[in-house]
Amino acid sequence: METNFIYSLLGNNLLGYLAVCILPLVFLIVYALVAILGELKIGAFMQDRLGPMRTGPWGTIQPIAEVVKLLQKENITPDAASKFLFNLAPFIIFTAAFAAFAVIPFSPKFVPSGINLGLFYIFAIGSFAVIGIFMGGWASNNKYSLLGAVRSVAQIISYEIPAGMAILSIAALAGTLDMNEIITKQSGWFTNWYIFGGSGSALRILFLPFTFGIFVIYLIASLAETNRTPFDIPEGESEIVAGYHTEYSGMKFAMFFFAEYANMFVVSALLTIMFFGGWNSPFGDFMSGPIWAVVWFLGKSMSFIFLQIWLRWTLPRLRVDQLMYTGWKVLLPISFVCFFAIALLAMLK
Amino acid sequence: MGNYFRNIWLGVWTVLVGMRITINHLVMRKVTNQYPDRYPDLKSLEEAKLVPTNSRNRLFVDKEDCNGCKGCERDCPVNCISVETTRVTPGDTVPLLRSGGKRNLWVTNFTIDMAKCCFCSLCTQACPTSAIVHTSEFEYSEYNRNDLVYQFSPFSPEEAQVKKDMFANYQAEQAAKKAAAAAVAPAPAATQENV
Amino acid sequence: MDLFEIIFYFFAAIVLVSALVVVLSKNIMYSAFSLLFTFFGVAGLFVLLNADFVGITQIMVYVGGILVLIIFGVMITTKVTGVDIKEGISGKLQYAGAGIITLLTAIFLSLMFINGKWITGSSTDVHATIHQIGTLLMTKYILAFEAAAILLLIAFIGAALIGRRKA
Repeated sequence: METNFIYSLLGNNLLGYLAVCILPLVFLIVYALVAILGELKIGAFMQDRLGPMRTGPWGTIQPIAEVVKLLQKENITPDAASKFLFNLAPFIIFTAAFAAFAVIPFSPKFVPSGINLGLFYIFAIGSFAVIGIFMGGWASNNKYSLLGAVRSVAQIISYEIPAGMAILSIAALAGTLDMNEIITKQSGWFTNWYIFGGSGSALRILFLPFTFGIFVIYLIASLAETNRTPFDIPEGESEIVAGYHTEYSGMKFAMFFFAEYANMFVVSALLTIMFFGGWNSPFGDFMSGPIWAVVWFLGKSMSFIFLQIWLRWTLPRLRVDQLMYTGWKVLLPISFVCFFAIALLAMLK
Repeated sequence: MGNYFRNIWLGVWTVLVGMRITINHLVMRKVTNQYPDRYPDLKSLEEAKLVPTNSRNRLFVDKEDCNGCKGCERDCPVNCISVETTRVTPGDTVPLLRSGGKRNLWVTNFTIDMAKCCFCSLCTQACPTSAIVHTSEFEYSEYNRNDLVYQFSPFSPEEAQVKKDMFANYQAEQAAKKAAAAAVAPAPAATQENV
Repeated sequence: MDLFEIIFYFFAAIVLVSALVVVLSKNIMYSAFSLLFTFFGVAGLFVLLNADFVGITQIMVYVGGILVLIIFGVMITTKVTGVDIKEGISGKLQYAGAGIITLLTAIFLSLMFINGKWITGSSTDVHATIHQIGTLLMTKYILAFEAAAILLLIAFIGAALIGRRKA
């Protein structure tokens, strides 16, 4: 199966590879601008404000202004910082966030790399971000940065386990780790999505609480892994300034920022792929095809981005002990139960 | 164990309640006034009760009601008001105060330096005729500090000078008359002294 | 030199340089962070050998697990950064011991390299290794698999026991 229209367009050569690499990057930048604007506007609307209104009509070019501002700012490297690691950390974090785009299928005709381990790959590549965060926090030589980094790493490691259980459940249900195959198995009407137990006998209705539960667990764990509110204690402004990126300014800070938004998209895309049928149309063959697939995929992913922003402007920050309690004593046992139930469902199929 | 599940249920439920509240506010009418860009005129602001009724903004003095008692000047804690008055010359045509009182003093100079004003409202309380009031006008910044000095005298400097001269002439006349009268009566004594 | 070889030498260089930094750096934090690139390079080499599952597992286990553990260990242990471990007579002894062990390892490895039977010839393009690995783990290597699982279980119980002792 040809999974990449660019290779059929440009051929299997260096130019093709380069185009495949650059396309998600362009998408990421455009998406990040949209997401920043969404964050500003939705946050403002939820507080009965209007948000930015003066740059462009209804403040629509505000994110561009912010990026330009960040580009112009001075890049400060603290004197006491470990300079090499300090300058390296943002690149590692951004690379880790961007590397996950390698396996995200935007459409049946465009998967940057159709490896058959996509799900596992995304899960593994996230660990680079952990090291990057730690590197930035340690190299800043600042107690707030270090505290933020330690908190962040502890949080990501804790929530990786429920997230891993959720991914494992989907792997058991789909019988594969290939992203495109997972999506193809959910084709048809929206009742075939894995949040409803996938295609198969009507018996799957009985497992609805478990599939839905594992979806909620992954949603919560993904919020924690991207350091979004209510799990943003690594950057808790009121306690530790800005956490691991306290000392960063200018473009290096912008890279942390972009990495956060890229991670948001990656987890949203994963939620879409694992539970909501990826690029499948919800109505069977109606409005399906490679172009519609992109629309469906981005639409579903963007609604999860919206959900994340919605949650951010709803919930306050968790305390550290509450965070650990939620991760280890609530999410983990429930995810085990859900995993066993879903494994049973996979066996019954 | 029951407590554990109740805790989880409570957590999920309260999150959902919070999300319902925020989604309602997402589509609600916004309260932001886009103040300098889209500026509702003061009257509609007042009608909409967006300017508090007892707000203290720029001072205004009713020229036809000020009787020149200088109560405001004395009470001002930051000395931003300076009043200069002169007596009304008898025989001059004097309109009554707006509030109906008799006018004894011309206000020849009445300046308020709004750059100094601390909006304490003591002057308005001191005023016997309620001539000095706080308006709702809050938008009066200037490029030059001197433009914030407001003049509330009904007269231009020339006219004020006319009134002053008039009274000075009257005083001089009176003094002359008094002197003349005095000259008539105790003249002998004076002549004695002169001798 | 085609693209494949360029990528191979790129990863090999990453592995060698970062491994040298791990060994030679005086700051133990630098060593720990340099290990990240070593693991990444090794994962890249695995992927080049069509062993994508092993490559990703390498990242998963070593970067995501062991490296974080090492860094935490280094950080929580007091006064490791900047301590000079090569002082005094024990330092000299360490040099000697390290030299002997390195020499022996080098001899051993070169013997293996010379005498080993290398599977040459073009590798067939194995597209999906994960199915075969899964099947093998559940059939031929079930004993090793279960032994590893039990080892992990014991480690878990031991960790829980140590963690709870104070109470």
